[in-house]
Amino acid sequence: MTTTQQQTEAPSPREPQRRRAPLTWRQRLGRLDVKLSPYLYIAPFWIVFAIVGLFPIVYTAVISFQDWDLVRNQGTLTGFDNFAFVLQDREFWMSLRNTFSIFLLSSVPQLIAATFIAAMLDKNIRAKTFWRMGVLLPYVVAPVAVALIFSNLFGDKYGLINTWLNDFGLPKIAWHVDVIPSHIAIATMVNFRWTGYNALILLAAMQAIPRDLYEAAAIDGAGAARRFFSVTLPQIRPTLIFVIITSTIGGLQVFDEPRMYDTRGNGGSNHQWETVTLYLYNEGWVNFNFGRAAAIAWILFLIIVAFGLLNFAITRRFIAGDAAPKKAKKKVKK
Amino acid sequence: MSLSRRKTTFGIAAGAATLAIALAGCSGTSSDNSSDTATTGTSGSNDAPVTLTLATFNQFGYSASSEGGADYKYDLIQEYMDAHPNVTITYNVADTSNTARENFFTKLGPGGLADVEAIEVDWLPEAMQYSDLLADISDPSLDGRWLDWKTQAATDKDGRLIAYGTDIGPEAICYNVDAFKEAGLPTDPTEVAAALDGDWSKFFDLGKQYHDATGKAFYEENAAVLQGMIGQLEAPYENPSDDSITALDNPEVKSIFDQLTTASGEGLSAGLQQWGDDWAAGMANGDYAVTLCPAWFLGVIEGNAPDGHWDIANVFPNGGGNWGGSYLTVPANGANVDAAKDLANWLTAPEQQAKAFENVGAFPSSPEAANSDAVQTYTRPYFNNAEAGKIYTERAAAVTVSPYKGSHYFQINDAMVNALRNVDTGTMSADEAWKQFQSDVKALS
Amino acid sequence: MPLKKKAKGGASAVSTMRPGWFVYAALAIVLIASLFPFYWSFLIASGDRYSANDPNLSWWPGGNFLHNASVVINNPAVNFWKALGNSIIVSTSTAVSTVVLSTLAGYAFAKLRFKGSGPMLVAVVATMAVPVQLGIVPLYILMQKFGWTGHLGAVILPGLVTAFGVFWMTQYISQSLPTELIEAARVDGCSMIRTFWHVGLPAARPAAAMLFLFTFVTQWNNFMWPYIVLDSKNPTLPVSLSILQANYFVDYSLVLAGVLLATVPLILLFMFAGRQLVTGIMAGAVKG
Repeated sequence: MTTTQQQTEAPSPREPQRRRAPLTWRQRLGRLDVKLSPYLYIAPFWIVFAIVGLFPIVYTAVISFQDWDLVRNQGTLTGFDNFAFVLQDREFWMSLRNTFSIFLLSSVPQLIAATFIAAMLDKNIRAKTFWRMGVLLPYVVAPVAVALIFSNLFGDKYGLINTWLNDFGLPKIAWHVDVIPSHIAIATMVNFRWTGYNALILLAAMQAIPRDLYEAAAIDGAGAARRFFSVTLPQIRPTLIFVIITSTIGGLQVFDEPRMYDTRGNGGSNHQWETVTLYLYNEGWVNFNFGRAAAIAWILFLIIVAFGLLNFAITRRFIAGDAAPKKAKKKVKK
Repeated sequence: MSLSRRKTTFGIAAGAATLAIALAGCSGTSSDNSSDTATTGTSGSNDAPVTLTLATFNQFGYSASSEGGADYKYDLIQEYMDAHPNVTITYNVADTSNTARENFFTKLGPGGLADVEAIEVDWLPEAMQYSDLLADISDPSLDGRWLDWKTQAATDKDGRLIAYGTDIGPEAICYNVDAFKEAGLPTDPTEVAAALDGDWSKFFDLGKQYHDATGKAFYEENAAVLQGMIGQLEAPYENPSDDSITALDNPEVKSIFDQLTTASGEGLSAGLQQWGDDWAAGMANGDYAVTLCPAWFLGVIEGNAPDGHWDIANVFPNGGGNWGGSYLTVPANGANVDAAKDLANWLTAPEQQAKAFENVGAFPSSPEAANSDAVQTYTRPYFNNAEAGKIYTERAAAVTVSPYKGSHYFQINDAMVNALRNVDTGTMSADEAWKQFQSDVKALS
Repeated sequence: MPLKKKAKGGASAVSTMRPGWFVYAALAIVLIASLFPFYWSFLIASGDRYSANDPNLSWWPGGNFLHNASVVINNPAVNFWKALGNSIIVSTSTAVSTVVLSTLAGYAFAKLRFKGSGPMLVAVVATMAVPVQLGIVPLYILMQKFGWTGHLGAVILPGLVTAFGVFWMTQYISQSLPTELIEAARVDGCSMIRTFWHVGLPAARPAAAMLFLFTFVTQWNNFMWPYIVLDSKNPTLPVSLSILQANYFVDYSLVLAGVLLATVPLILLFMFAGRQLVTGIMAGAVKG
């Protein structure tokens, strides 16, 4: 549709452009257009981003090497002292353990569930908008309501879940005392909020797959599962990479949920659910050690980048390994 | 029926208040003109129109229309603007002291704080490290306005007074009357007070009696009682002369730790984390029978246990105790430091402190305000019509110690709270928890 | 939409087939879990100040919702209408800007060749990996220098772009927009910007709608930063509603009534944006 429209509207002198002879001003303009346009498109983003995105990051980098006084906005250079302290701090390693544990408990089930929900929403269901928006609802719930609801669910003594367990004659779970239960509870909060969100992202990608590919695969005798793994997954690979990387970044920076998990917000009396970002926050805003907090930010940054690259590589290999879709694609085009 | 009716009237009243505010806003501009003719002002030089910003948190009891409260008797902000037609006040209220704290320290250096900025006693030690950024408010006319320890805590090393005291949190013991009755303990507040009069061993003894009779916990959690006990030490964790950490060598700290862990080992602690859902529910369900309660805490009990039956015993183990309380500061780089001082001065003057107490139960840090009729005749119906004003005046008089809080106070106290909670929840034995505390404190220096 | 499919060929069974009941059943479970918080919030918002702590709270709503809502709206400290207006301004302007700038940049990263595009994209993604808990301080110093504190601009500026948005649009466009289509438009003599307008934008529409939604909601619920740079005269909704919690004993029936009121505009937005998320226009366009 769109293409036809352009053809009719396209500027008429098409022939001269094809000639190899001296460049007209119009051609020069065209070349300039090709060269400059990309930069013009990304420039507005970079200009604003440099101010509001990069400046705080550079600031964090600078103060990570200093004993920084936040209020007076000055500090003394201490080299790698902050980094050394953090790496030797027991609390840091505990928080790293908690972060990865919560990350695994949340991201893995979340992505699997999100993919399945997306696949279901991608089917030719009735009342599409209704279902799609319904899935995203948890994302709009205000944080105060989320905190209230989950503290009601996971209360150690009077929580809804423990009351139910009791009704079934099962022992209560010490959600705010034991490490793994607290991680499960927090992962539940995370999953509640983000599963629908990721499902919709994946759905948008699935919707962009040409339906003909499915038909072709079906004609080739591929069943529903085979179509999903051979057509859907490879086709949405860029988006899948996006979801995995953003989930990794977001998951390893998990902050709101563990902070909301109890009224003190410091990650538990024995650091049971203190994540790295919570540890960062405590070092900065509670202990007023901003240089150290900045060092934690950068250490976490390196961990996330390393982990993100790993995930990226795995995803790439896992999905690129299947050659079937490319064949199917070619078939359709011809 | 009657309850819902009252609520409806409140809805209308609130609507009327909006209108009143809107009108006040309109007249605010016209008062700029009239300020030239207003010659009755006490200080002639301050008549130029000025807009002051005031920032507090929770409920200071200054103005219902800004604090979200429903039924204040007085609107101090409006009173001040009426008395000073050239002054317009913008009043910001933060939901929690945490929000206010993050805001305060973000802006203290670069500027941008309100002209008058409230701080809580919990982060006063940090603020004191930047006392040079706050205006010195000392003035002979202020001598004797506040309790000595309240003033002393806000005076820096150079003798500058940097904050106007607002309220304090003198503590009494609140107890669940039904629970006491069930255990066969005295239920009359004077009898309960007599039973608890003495040092902390009396408190734990009564707890044991209660536990033996009912099998239930006596108090909510170790950390809650810690707060009362540690507040009675002159120098709990640090040496006042050089700020060095002494927490591990202080036998009193270890003794408090031992008393508490022994008591929780005997089943006296319910192990319910303060302010949590279980804790709030436990207050209604009789999971614990006593709590250390400052004046501002009364509303919490009323809210959490609306159908409960609690009373106030005019006593506190081992003397007095203070929990919470706030100050008003004037950032030195503000645009209207003098006008701001006038406002903060007025808000913390005895008459206004008494009114704030009537509004929200913020107990005055000014002895004169505490002795006013308004405070002395104040009663609290929920607590069997306890004479709360009188009780807390006596409780305030019993507070003699203001513990030294150095630069590591809150980190050390946090470590102590964590250790006690770990014992409460059974995560650690008392020995393990103490070792944990030791290593946490050692990591600080 | 199904109509379009059928027009293309009645034989294409796989994609037009109506799914079985189990799909609806599974989605219904997801939906119930999604709706639960709203219903629960409504239960408390329709009760009184003790409802949130009431262990025997009925699963049937009380009759106080309208009353609680009117208390919130009429509370002068909440300044509801002003805050609502501000929230709409902030969320709309940041969402529009994020979508426009991200789509432009994402299109460039995904489909145009230029020096440094690879490293630049990696840099954008990497910035997301730096925790932002400290960012509030430098940003505040910046806004203070600009003299923007107290103005909505101080909230809008940091929200104008997100690395997330650029990464998302890049990935989506690189997947859903066939390069052949761009080449075709170029061969037809379209300038770069016209190609973007007629080919890039339509392809990006579903992703743009979603980005709009996400950005809008994020800004709508944003609390700490607006709290720091704005004041009670000029708040956004979360800032002004937070006043309802400024109490030692919090009346959650009012808090949640406020939360639900603040959610209404989001639900309206959902109804509108949901339609934009229809099948990628490009799905059939390659052939067309």
